[in-house]
Amino acid sequence: MVFWRTWGKAFALFPLLLFISCMQGGDDGPKETLYAFRAPVHFPEPTYTFRNNQVHEKGFKLGKMLFNDPNLSRDGSVSCSSCHLQSHAFADTWLHPMSIGVDGREGKRNAPPLFNLAFHREFFWDGGITHLDFTPIAAFENELEMDIPFPEVVDRIARHPVYPGLFREAFGIETVTGPFVLHALSQFMLMMVSASSPYDAYIQGDKTALSATQLAGLQLFRQHCESCHREPLFTDLSYRNNGAQRVIRDFGRELVTERAEDRAKFKVPSLRNIEVTAPYMHHARFQTLEDVLDHYTSGMQHQETLDPQLWRSGQPVITLSAAEKEQLISFLLALTDTKFLSNPIFHQTHD
Amino acid sequence: MKVLQTISILILGFIALFLSSCQESESPLVDETGEMIVKFDNYVGNRPLVLEPEGSTNYRYALANGQSFNITRFGYYISHIQLEGPNGEIFSDPMLASASEVKGYYRVNQEEPDSWEIHLKNIPAGQYNKITFNLGVKEDGIVEGAVGGILDRAAGGWFWNWNSGFIHYMFEGHSPASERVQGDLQNRVRLHLGGWKNVAPVDDLPQRFFDNNVKITLPFDATVRVNSTMRPSPHIHVDALEVLGDVDFSIVNNIHTPAEARPFASRLQGAFVVDHTHQ
Repeated sequence: MVFWRTWGKAFALFPLLLFISCMQGGDDGPKETLYAFRAPVHFPEPTYTFRNNQVHEKGFKLGKMLFNDPNLSRDGSVSCSSCHLQSHAFADTWLHPMSIGVDGREGKRNAPPLFNLAFHREFFWDGGITHLDFTPIAAFENELEMDIPFPEVVDRIARHPVYPGLFREAFGIETVTGPFVLHALSQFMLMMVSASSPYDAYIQGDKTALSATQLAGLQLFRQHCESCHREPLFTDLSYRNNGAQRVIRDFGRELVTERAEDRAKFKVPSLRNIEVTAPYMHHARFQTLEDVLDHYTSGMQHQETLDPQLWRSGQPVITLSAAEKEQLISFLLALTDTKFLSNPIFHQTHD
Repeated sequence: MKVLQTISILILGFIALFLSSCQESESPLVDETGEMIVKFDNYVGNRPLVLEPEGSTNYRYALANGQSFNITRFGYYISHIQLEGPNGEIFSDPMLASASEVKGYYRVNQEEPDSWEIHLKNIPAGQYNKITFNLGVKEDGIVEGAVGGILDRAAGGWFWNWNSGFIHYMFEGHSPASERVQGDLQNRVRLHLGGWKNVAPVDDLPQRFFDNNVKITLPFDATVRVNSTMRPSPHIHVDALEVLGDVDFSIVNNIHTPAEARPFASRLQGAFVVDHTHQ
């Protein structure tokens, strides 16, 4: 009797429980999927090692907190987000052609935007970093940026009142260690996928997504720019000298490869969201896209390592009329992904 | 019928389990394992390597060219250890590089005497007369991204922050022949040997990057026996002077890149010798 009094009720409740859990499942389902990495269907296979670090909600949110935390710089003045702003596709504002680190120190290269990083093999303008996980170490330890040894970063996180509990929840670890700090930051950065521009809509079948001018621009793009700024990432991930330095002061890729053949070569930047990432080039020389196109058609001078796709037989390869330049720029503006630039999951306050 | 089937499958399963456990206990030798402690003894020529504090002007050692020097930091990564025996015995130390755990990577760090001994476990019982290992951290320790243990930079791992990769072999000290200044430190010598990939020449472009991992194979001075009661300990003599070779500290005193490290990396194999083995 006692058995049935207790368990009979339980059995009676069982279908109800099932029902509730189903309802909760239904609620959680779509919410969970907000924080899973999905490669856009028209993109290549991602190169990131997801087998070691699958993106999940807790890891992503922890990564976001770290990304926005100025206490992870030497004097508590600069966070990752100080120089990587969502509204600028996680590049710096045009007010900071060279970003400002601790003590107001000015950087040496223009802060690159952050998106579609899961598809890159090497990082930074010179490609010295070979895995997304390692990128924050360079920013933390650079004396012109956050100027703090990575062990000190991890130590501050481990002594923080809140972080250790969040690491336990996200990764099941009792002690915060370097690799998990890097995994959390990678999770946040991996979710920065930009593939919802008018161009993407067009590629995926919406033939009204681009205007006639933009379509003419796309044709010109494929004729003159595609070989380096390859679709759909709009970079072929290679290193090239485009002659942007009149006097070569920054050796770029050569600093990493130790080869004079790589002098003044820099990683070909993606053109996605180019509208919001001015000024342009590693040394922020050009303020506008017009300036950039003028450079390619008439601004270059011979240099030993100047790219043969841009300069051949003492001449610039690319010729564009003023009207063509306008069409081309009109197309480049169709690479602006407003959904990405305003996606609330990246907002600091969004929970 | 279904129930009967399930029960008979379960019974068969139990019998199979029972039989297999009997087999194990009947022939324990098949799975007998033992241990080995590989000890690294660091020397400069024929003198034991002793560290000086940074800034010290006590120069204990000298190059063949007469330039005196001391050593303030010294060590190297060892990985992919393999033992081989005359009768086909083979043991490969398991490797793992992940965020939570690292296996098969060791760092012999002169500052930490415990690190001079590498403790190998679960070696199949038998005779061994050869050891092979990699000096450095190969591609498999880099391409997985952030990893823990002795490879965690936050825990003191020797990791380059500007050109991803580990410092395979670390040598820091002072020499009056060097005019290199590092912060407050004078007469500095720093040789950080790293590099883990070769990018082959393309068209008329030369090779980029250099893999300075070195595979080192050493015969033991005698065949050693490993079993559940015998734990042999080969002692490997490492000569830092051999790695320095014909270096001139007045010219070469600050190595931090794969291409520059190549001449030193080419001398690493010759610096390692099995000196003797405690059976």
